[in-house]
Amino acid sequence: MNPFFQRHRLGTPLVLCLALLLMTLLSFTGSAGLQRTVTEILIRVVMVVGLFIFVGHSGVMSFGHMAFVGIGAYGVAWTTMEPSMKLLMLPGLHTLLQQADLPWVFATVLGALLAAFVALLAGSVILRLSGIAASIATFSLLAIFNVIYSNWDTVTGGASSIVGIPTPVEDWQALAFAVLAIVLAHLHSISRYGLGLRSVREEPVAAQSCGINAWRQLLVAFVLSAFVCGLGGGLDAQFLGVVNPDAYYLSRTFTCLTMLVIGGSASLSGAVTGVIVLSVLIELLVRFEAGVTLGAMTIHLPTGSQEIVVGVVMVLMLIRRPAGLMRGRDWSWPMRSTPAKANLKARTPN
Amino acid sequence: MTAALQYLFDALSLGSLYALGALGIALIFGVMRLVNFAHGDVMTFAIFVLIAPTTEAVAPLWVGAWSTPLLVLTVLVAGAALSIVSEWLVFRHLRHATPATTMMASFALGFVLQNTLLVLHSSRPKAVNLWPTLSAPMNLWGARVPGLQLLMIGITMALLIGLAWMLKRSRVGLEMRVAAENFDMARMLGVKANRVILMAFGLSGTLAALIGLLMVSQTGLVDIRMGGPMMLVAFVSTVIGGLGSLGGAVLGGFLIGAVSTALQAWLPLDARAFRDAFVYLAVILLLLWRPDGLFVTSAVRQRV
Amino acid sequence: MNLLEIHDLNVRYGGITALHKLSLSIKAGETVMVTGPNGAGKSTLLKTIAGLVKPQHGSVVFDGQLITGCAPETIAAAGFSMVPEGRQVFNSLTVLENLRVGTGMRRNKLAVAADLDYVMDVFPVLRERALSQAGMLSGGQQQMLVIGRGLMAAPRLLVIDEPSLGLAPLVTDQVYEALMRLRVERELTLLIVEQSASRAVMTGGRMLMLREGRIVLEGDPRQLTAHQMQQAYFGYEDEPVTASTP
Repeated sequence: MNPFFQRHRLGTPLVLCLALLLMTLLSFTGSAGLQRTVTEILIRVVMVVGLFIFVGHSGVMSFGHMAFVGIGAYGVAWTTMEPSMKLLMLPGLHTLLQQADLPWVFATVLGALLAAFVALLAGSVILRLSGIAASIATFSLLAIFNVIYSNWDTVTGGASSIVGIPTPVEDWQALAFAVLAIVLAHLHSISRYGLGLRSVREEPVAAQSCGINAWRQLLVAFVLSAFVCGLGGGLDAQFLGVVNPDAYYLSRTFTCLTMLVIGGSASLSGAVTGVIVLSVLIELLVRFEAGVTLGAMTIHLPTGSQEIVVGVVMVLMLIRRPAGLMRGRDWSWPMRSTPAKANLKARTPN
Repeated sequence: MTAALQYLFDALSLGSLYALGALGIALIFGVMRLVNFAHGDVMTFAIFVLIAPTTEAVAPLWVGAWSTPLLVLTVLVAGAALSIVSEWLVFRHLRHATPATTMMASFALGFVLQNTLLVLHSSRPKAVNLWPTLSAPMNLWGARVPGLQLLMIGITMALLIGLAWMLKRSRVGLEMRVAAENFDMARMLGVKANRVILMAFGLSGTLAALIGLLMVSQTGLVDIRMGGPMMLVAFVSTVIGGLGSLGGAVLGGFLIGAVSTALQAWLPLDARAFRDAFVYLAVILLLLWRPDGLFVTSAVRQRV
Repeated sequence: MNLLEIHDLNVRYGGITALHKLSLSIKAGETVMVTGPNGAGKSTLLKTIAGLVKPQHGSVVFDGQLITGCAPETIAAAGFSMVPEGRQVFNSLTVLENLRVGTGMRRNKLAVAADLDYVMDVFPVLRERALSQAGMLSGGQQQMLVIGRGLMAAPRLLVIDEPSLGLAPLVTDQVYEALMRLRVERELTLLIVEQSASRAVMTGGRMLMLREGRIVLEGDPRQLTAHQMQQAYFGYEDEPVTASTP
């Protein structure tokens, strides 16, 4: 096999992107509703891959990443909505933003950059804390975001939703960004930053003695993951056309974390697999909540039971198989070994 | 002078609430190295036994209609029982799991609890009027202090002293401290690990239910989300106090109570809504100065 | 009757077999020294008896009771006390509190008080530093503390893992003196894992040498030759050691 391919372990991102492409193509054989669902899945892939970049490599559970998703989402609202609407709904917005009407890709990236900037500031403090304390601090980060965005009425519309965001995002756009997210995550993973962070996760003292600065590795991963999450937020806003602070709070946090953990938080394939598996499960449960007729009976789950089932599945998974479905391994492109060269399997070590 | 006194009582009563919450968290963390994100939802669940399950806007009282001693006892027992059941069903199987796994599990548990309440009661806040006479203000050296606040402060102080005594002097306390420090070694010396952990959970659940009762008396409302903000402050208190230190957790709770009350009084009117954000910001600043918290224990340090 | 009987014990960590069909029996009142190179399975053997590690196969019978797979606290209650490797004092507790930890299972308060007195007699430093924090004691003092702590559980079998680890030879002498005194005065059955084979020889009793999870030598150390012990320890059968020997 091509040494470049092997050395950069391109098998994994290739397999993942092809799988997503396949899913998108298949959705065209179904209804418009199916296509919308697939677009949602692709946007979730972006968010969960973003989460993976930090959580997967550092082993530190972060409950605050929805804040970055939300910052990205609101950022896009500020820069793509029609100026006259902004004048009406968000009077406190700075003139520059109020007049802004940027092309959607540019706006998405800009929103993500804002999220990354906030992550840089917050991360410099939070990441100095020990693992458990850092996780709790990320929780307070989420709370800060929620309090600010729920109350700054003139700039964010407060607790009510902002509507009227243009919606150019459909399946292909979401797929493109999902591929981008996967590529970014993969590049980070094989870079010295990704490796450095994993070594810190495994054996902090030994890593330090190799000259690896734990805080810097963590910060790089934190900022990059915030950027990708911000992209996801921008996509989300430009798919739904609506933003609301509570959409980026506990419920979403739980869903995204569950997807990551069920798939297996230690690998990129785990992140993507988790999104797909859990999305299918949630779709099924939502159908059951709406009422499903099997033969002569109609099964009708009460509202809210979908979350309960997902929660129970999550707990069972954590007890029986905490490493998730993928157990830290990656999907890879099947390789033929050449006798003369060393047999490099494109698999992330467990 | 009276303003300062008023502030003092407000800060103390809010701080007591936070300190009690932090204590419940710190107890479990100390014994099991587990951050229990379900703690707030245990509190809420215990409180919801006061009303009958219904999705209507007005809920008939269930336990809430019983006599005070029975009511208090039932709610406290409900909290303890739920906490113990959660240990038995979930956390027992995660004794050797990583912190990230246990945090995620407790988060999931809390989520399940909250959504179960949602299914049973709907998301509407329901009114529950407990002991209205306690809200009557008493005149203390010029400051008007609701009786409930004094009760809160009094209960917290008594509990703190009682718990400190228990941990230091009693056999149970010794076993808890030992299990917290070195679980396996404690077992090899005959300490019944499961019993110690169950006691810690039971105690923690009781504390949670107590806070819930105090909160309901104060606000007159029950809401499936009432555990959230309260518990986040409790967690943050344990972090600034130093993970693993019970005294630190309590101190952290009082500190945040003081800062929160101060901000409430001194912030300009339009900034009041952001008070919580400022509190968390202040916490982050404190952590910049002291990343391991105010009291560092062996729980956090790693021996090279 | 044998106080401890181990039969065909098989313990695996992942893909590595730590103990291979190990069988062993100890009579009441005996002193058994277990030696062997690193990775031989000595600590694994002790941890399995103590209940910290579950064997894949085999049985451990203590005082007529089957204890394989039981919880550590149940095994402790049956009269088994282990002093693990690295001492493991409870740092934040005082010396006295450390000693008291193992007494929870005992009903007779008078006997507990008498034992406390006895332990402090054997290890006078514990009486001097009774209220000090255990984490502040020196290595040797901590070793004495954990042996005393193990004793406070009134065991019939006391197991000690590497008592000399990290201690100066003079201090180790003191520790072993105390152990020998206990052996006589308390009729204790002792199972000691000792890195230093010479120390094992000095202490007497019965010696067991483990290598790669198997017992390769067993007997009275005074009747074994140094040559035999070296062969068993290093794993050479009757072969000269050359550069090409793998």
